[in-house]
Amino acid sequence: MNTLLAVIIGILTVYLAYTRYARRIDRNVIQSDPKRATPATLYMDGVDFMPTNRNILFGYHFKSIAAAGPIVGAIVAASLWGWLPALVWLVLGVSFMGWASDYSAIVLSVRNEGNSLSAVAYRLVSPRTRTALFLFIFFYLLLIAGAFVGIMAQVMDGQPKTPLGIILLVAMGLLLGQMLYRWKMGLLGATIITVGITFLGILLGPLPAIEGVFKGLNEALNAMTGGTPIVTYFDPTLAGFKGAEAKIMPSLLFWAIAICLFCYAGSVLPIWRMAQPVVYVGFWITATAMVLGLGGAAVATVVRPEVAQFQIPAFKGWNPQLGPAGIMPLWPMLFVTIACGAISGWHALIGTVGTARQIENEADMLPVGAGSMFAEFLLGLLALLAVSVGTKAPSPPATFANGLGGFISVWGVPVQYAVSLAFAAFIVIVLVVTQLIFRVMKITLTEWLGEVILPLRNQHVASFISVALAILLVLTGTWIYLWQLFGAANQLMAALSLLLVTVWLASVGKDWLYAGLPMIFMYLTTVASILVTAYNLYFNVYQPNLVAGRVIPVVGSGLMVLVAILLVVAALLIAVDGWRAFMKHLRRPAPAPGPAHARG
Amino acid sequence: MGWAAFKQFLYGLTGYEFVRHALEVRRELEAVFIVVTMGDLIGVPVLPPIYSLRLLPYVVPEIANWKRQMARRKEFWEKEEYDLHGV
Repeated sequence: MNTLLAVIIGILTVYLAYTRYARRIDRNVIQSDPKRATPATLYMDGVDFMPTNRNILFGYHFKSIAAAGPIVGAIVAASLWGWLPALVWLVLGVSFMGWASDYSAIVLSVRNEGNSLSAVAYRLVSPRTRTALFLFIFFYLLLIAGAFVGIMAQVMDGQPKTPLGIILLVAMGLLLGQMLYRWKMGLLGATIITVGITFLGILLGPLPAIEGVFKGLNEALNAMTGGTPIVTYFDPTLAGFKGAEAKIMPSLLFWAIAICLFCYAGSVLPIWRMAQPVVYVGFWITATAMVLGLGGAAVATVVRPEVAQFQIPAFKGWNPQLGPAGIMPLWPMLFVTIACGAISGWHALIGTVGTARQIENEADMLPVGAGSMFAEFLLGLLALLAVSVGTKAPSPPATFANGLGGFISVWGVPVQYAVSLAFAAFIVIVLVVTQLIFRVMKITLTEWLGEVILPLRNQHVASFISVALAILLVLTGTWIYLWQLFGAANQLMAALSLLLVTVWLASVGKDWLYAGLPMIFMYLTTVASILVTAYNLYFNVYQPNLVAGRVIPVVGSGLMVLVAILLVVAALLIAVDGWRAFMKHLRRPAPAPGPAHARG
Repeated sequence: MGWAAFKQFLYGLTGYEFVRHALEVRRELEAVFIVVTMGDLIGVPVLPPIYSLRLLPYVVPEIANWKRQMARRKEFWEKEEYDLHGV
């Protein structure tokens, strides 16, 4: 297998699924009507409800949904089961489920006056579904925050060539906010300065003098305890899943705290000051790496065949032997390990509150909703290619960076700089997302418990608690389990979104199978995956560390098991309510909406 | 996809978010201004009517949107919708 063949498979998937399936559903089931007025035109307020050109909206929606999810998921899945199952799931997932979930959520909102998912759930299913959605969102954020902080700290600690670019990214983000909003500079000039300096920092990172500084810093930090770890625990996923004692060294803790401090600032400062401009600068770094990488993957077979050949096994088994790491059956675990890129619930949430209210014309719903999902699939495919061709490295992110660096080097960039750019792109994409996660966690906590626990209304208290909970999860060390639990929460949200679409389709007398069948599959798969993860956590992390009397990992893994149980309970409640609502509407389908409002 | 469409796509990826944020900030400020000056319209008398009436001609174009915005229930993640990007 080589990368050119995989790219051709990817492009064919997009073409066939879009033209042969998605368009047919849009035309025959949804019956999108360009003459029907959309909420954006009916309730135009110039801000939330704003008719927007489809090309602009495509870019906006794609940027909103594409981030670290499709990259990390593909990396982990390929290293667990091989590249073939990951590729098959990416292709089938996006063709039959992913686009349907994203597109249908937008349709649902557009046909329901621009209402959000929870508002539609409240009306069509039951009031408590909204509460369940709250639960999902908070724990989803907590899990992803823990997983991301852990993986970033490991890369920053283990790759001294990376920190300079990241530090400059943060500084340039702050500078960009100042330039745009205080000094009123033009976007183009400010972009050239800030993005240029950040690129320079990334490229200077591998210089021995710069790398030596950060290496020296790590050594000095570790010398503070005489080379003794701060925390030791048993992690069954280490050493190629043979299990080993994980040691949290002072330098790792230092980088974890530094990342959390950055995220804390992103959470409490005004959004224009830090979070938004850092995301913007980061976008250019990752977009450059991805465009160069995808192009490189396509031409590498001809130009440099040695970087285009897959290095990892195609298939490692239905249930790879993981020793003390417990069980990892391909079903259901693959389907939550790769979430975004195949199907994602978060897209539906964003689609209903943001994109759907800017749809100018019903004919735009398909290219914007489904088109963005297919574009994200290509991002996931690139990550899979990078990790499949990457030379063996100590960690999946390092393998990914080696592979992506190889693709970028096809364009004449020296390999060490290309790998440095790939590492930086990986960290940037995870970092910018993590700061946003902490920001939203703060708000969620305040909205959820602020009425009962008054101190939570203080943004510093809410942010601090969010950060502390995430660090606790990081200290469990088993971030692969953490990632899979996050994936399960995400996929359960997708199932919930598809459930709402199914109930709505039944309520208006339309064919609901295209949404209903993926919903049933995703629901059963994700509930099963949560149970498997809870089993692994309890027997392979919680109990060994309990026997060894290690408090922090016991608390951390215990917390994760508790979260898993809560997710299952919420999923069962939603299933019961959804089934009742579905049967009610199936027996007495409501009339379809009346004739379209006239468009001017 | 032609060049014009590509430029629009690029704008959607980059500057569009800043424009939306600027509009949001302006709308928030205007909403406060209208509440203070025209609060009577939603039962919140703040300013003596004489001043409200003098300002009325300038505010009229925004009143319909403002009332809709005040009446619409917003979920907490909608208020911070910009913060959710890329998760």
